[in-house]
Amino acid sequence: MLELRLVQGSLLKKVIESIKDLVTDANFDCSATGFSLQAMDSSHVALVALLLRAEGFEHYRCDRNISMGMNLTNMSKMLKCSGNDDIITIKADDGSDTVTFMFESPNQDKIADFEMKLMDIDSEHLGIPEAEYHAIVRMPSAEFARICKDLSSIGDTVVISVTKEGVKFSTRGDIGAANIVCRQNTTVDKPEEATVIEMNEPVNLTFALRYMNSFTKATPLSNTVTLSLSSELPVVVEYKIAEMGYIRFYLAPKIEEDENE
Amino acid sequence: MGIKGLTKLLADNAPKCMKEQKFESYFNRKIAIDASMSIYQFLIVVGRTGTEMLTNEAGEVTSYVFDGPPPDLKKQELAKRYAKRADATEDLTEAIEKGDKDSIEKFSKRTVKVTKQHNDDCKKLLGLMGVPVVEAPSEAEAQCAALCISGKVYAVASEDMDSLTFGAPKFLRHLMDPSSKKIPVMEFETAKVLEELSLTMDQFIDLCILSGCDYCESIKGIGGLTALKLIRQHGSIENILENINKERYQIPEDWPYQEARRLFKEPLVHPGNEEPELKWSSPDEEGLVNFLVKENGFNIDRVTKAIEKIKAAKSKSSQGRLEAFFKPTVTNSVPIKRKETVDSTSKNTSNKKQKAGGKKK
Repeated sequence: MLELRLVQGSLLKKVIESIKDLVTDANFDCSATGFSLQAMDSSHVALVALLLRAEGFEHYRCDRNISMGMNLTNMSKMLKCSGNDDIITIKADDGSDTVTFMFESPNQDKIADFEMKLMDIDSEHLGIPEAEYHAIVRMPSAEFARICKDLSSIGDTVVISVTKEGVKFSTRGDIGAANIVCRQNTTVDKPEEATVIEMNEPVNLTFALRYMNSFTKATPLSNTVTLSLSSELPVVVEYKIAEMGYIRFYLAPKIEEDENE
Repeated sequence: MGIKGLTKLLADNAPKCMKEQKFESYFNRKIAIDASMSIYQFLIVVGRTGTEMLTNEAGEVTSYVFDGPPPDLKKQELAKRYAKRADATEDLTEAIEKGDKDSIEKFSKRTVKVTKQHNDDCKKLLGLMGVPVVEAPSEAEAQCAALCISGKVYAVASEDMDSLTFGAPKFLRHLMDPSSKKIPVMEFETAKVLEELSLTMDQFIDLCILSGCDYCESIKGIGGLTALKLIRQHGSIENILENINKERYQIPEDWPYQEARRLFKEPLVHPGNEEPELKWSSPDEEGLVNFLVKENGFNIDRVTKAIEKIKAAKSKSSQGRLEAFFKPTVTNSVPIKRKETVDSTSKNTSNKKQKAGGKKK
């Protein structure tokens, strides 16, 4: 038996919108601590890890650790039928092959039940070790989204290099090259507009912009984004979800050419 | 032509051993491809797709393994195929006389034959493209399987089901089908096959021999299903031969099943320490143009385009996979949905509802 009541239902909508292009089917895991998901894209280059802690729900009941396989496109279709202010409740019975999304309008005058079929997904679960990163960059999420979008019109890959001066995003393509440097900037009116760089060691890594652009679909979830980088490790692009958890994207770096020879 | 009816037998009796996979999921994996099948496909489609078929857009790393001389036992089977081809040639002449276009197309496909020249040309082409080529001492499937067992490659791609009989841990079908056909890759795992059929590898080999393989005749009246039943009951061909009703089933005289078994178990392959190193290199542009355009009359534009594609694929292959950094773990979550026990032949990738019921996993 599972019953999760989320007052800010639009959060769930935004979460699904941000990952549905990267992953088509995924298992949602529910435990006493929270509602989570881990899934990889079909070429096993990027991974998304989502956590919505139990405390973030108005009501959270989950008797045992269970997983539910869902098709994210279909889930998105159903969630789109909810209003932006609606309260969303996720319900499932033991042994059931469906999950129910209940949408309640804020003044309780409309209640909608959407039942979705579950599916069997045998996906691999990866263990992600806690790591100390060489550099951590926190910046406005809209700024990061803009950079990725701009660079992808010029090249396919982005080189992210962090030095004491700041973080540099650069690309090169058939028509030319582009460099964008963001300096550390903490003297702003609002804390979410700050660019903060914590660096232990300079890093310089190359990533595919296609995936970065897909990650920025999570921009509506948070005003800030955190990039954690280490040489020869996947980058972590993290969006915090107000008071209740996070969505993290991991992307394997491009390896320098000489590996192939 | 592999093992008779094995795909169906596995689909019915060991559904969990096969999984549909997307082509992309083999991104950056090393795959040994049994070239004998591909060459036939290339020859049949040549003119339309030509060289492009050989480039790998997903940036997969592949190596081709070529057949060496066939083992003696296979010669009989080969002779039959020659006869078939001769028949087809006759049919073709007939069809041309009648002017039946569909039949001409059909029969002309059947008369295609790979010559030594074709083989050498393909090897040369692949070499110029920078794809490693392995020449098997005998059967290519066996060599592919050996490469997979020794961990040099991730999986074997072939259309021949006997790759499983040779013990390839992971075996892919439909990998090289043109993407336009949209056929998902079918992945087989030998360990799962054995687990699901509850057979040992030796018993599985016997099962394949009984079902009908390339190396010897099978017993008339015994197909895959009967063979599976008999193996489960008696454990080996020897025991079956002792217990079987000899009136009902005609055992071929001078039946070399032991030879066949030996060929599957100890195929002639490069010994582990002498396995050729698989090395990928950049394509030799000049060489390719010389070979394809000057010697073989391909259109220069197409060749240049294909070279561009190879280069693009190469740059893609520098993308790492997450498995290189994170290792798989096991979750302790139990699916809320009850799993089906039988019937689902493959992973349910569509959102079709599967009936609840059966044992809880």
